[in-house]
Amino acid sequence: MDRARFEALLDAYGADLRRWPADERAAAAAFKLQYGPELGAEIDAERRLDEALASVWSADAASDALAARILAARPQPNADDGGFDRRALFALAACAVFGVLLGFGGGSLAPGANDDGVEDYIAMAFDGPLTEFGDEG
Amino acid sequence: MIDPDADLVRSAGAGDARAAEALVRRHLPRMVSLARRMLSDAAEAEDVAQEVFLRVWREAPRWKPGAAKFETWMHRVALNLCYDRLRRKREKTDPDAGLFVADTAPLASEAWLTQQRAQRVNAALALLPERQRAAIALVHYQDMTNIAAAEMLDVSVEALESLLARGRRALKAALADVAQDLLGDADGAARF
Repeated sequence: MDRARFEALLDAYGADLRRWPADERAAAAAFKLQYGPELGAEIDAERRLDEALASVWSADAASDALAARILAARPQPNADDGGFDRRALFALAACAVFGVLLGFGGGSLAPGANDDGVEDYIAMAFDGPLTEFGDEG
Repeated sequence: MIDPDADLVRSAGAGDARAAEALVRRHLPRMVSLARRMLSDAAEAEDVAQEVFLRVWREAPRWKPGAAKFETWMHRVALNLCYDRLRRKREKTDPDAGLFVADTAPLASEAWLTQQRAQRVNAALALLPERQRAAIALVHYQDMTNIAAAEMLDVSVEALESLLARGRRALKAALADVAQDLLGDADGAARF
């Protein structure tokens, strides 16, 4: 490490070597040991700024109320989604049962295959007797 | 790269309440602290921290450990929210807002001196350009390494060092006129 690099790091990170880049810390410590006295004024000025910055440090402990608000804002997927799923499944099952019953019940309301009127209904629907279709073949 | 938050984020994203609480316990104070350094306003800092966590809850279910650590991502989100608020403030506040106004109360006690000193330093920090303030907040108050801080600011380590050096020079200049009772200089001269 040369003096220029040491001064650049001192300017940027201050006098506390623990803030300096990890890969340059050992070289900086050795440089400081050797040339520290020459750089005393510069190091002292940076140390004073470090102390001034530290004087306004506080833990800024977040309030419990804030933490509670943040946790309350969290989506609650498990409980709600589970309840919704059960309701949806129940509704789906009810619809299926109703559909099956409707199928059976609806069959009894429709005219039987041997009812006399069936052919007339069909003929009316196609505007002509069924036998005519048979003759076309 | 091992992300110490990866498991917690995954669990919180899957709906684990304890993991969510652990994330809040681990990161909320740091988010509040960073926002306070950036905004110089406790209430706004809490708003920013809350907004960061709203985004955490939104992103956690689909979070995939990748290039950046979760903590880095959180810091970036917090910084961007702070930049937005500072920009909005700049647009609508008067130019004298934020300037330090000296307390004219008489010298009374060590506690008063400490308070005055802290106010003076906070005011000087508040006057730094945003990026310089962010760099100093990350390295000096959040105890981030140079690499992590550079990543959070999305700059190279060299650019981070430049931001830090300019910020510290500006702080030294701003605090140079502070009287000895505030800086505690034994011989009465400000020695920044």
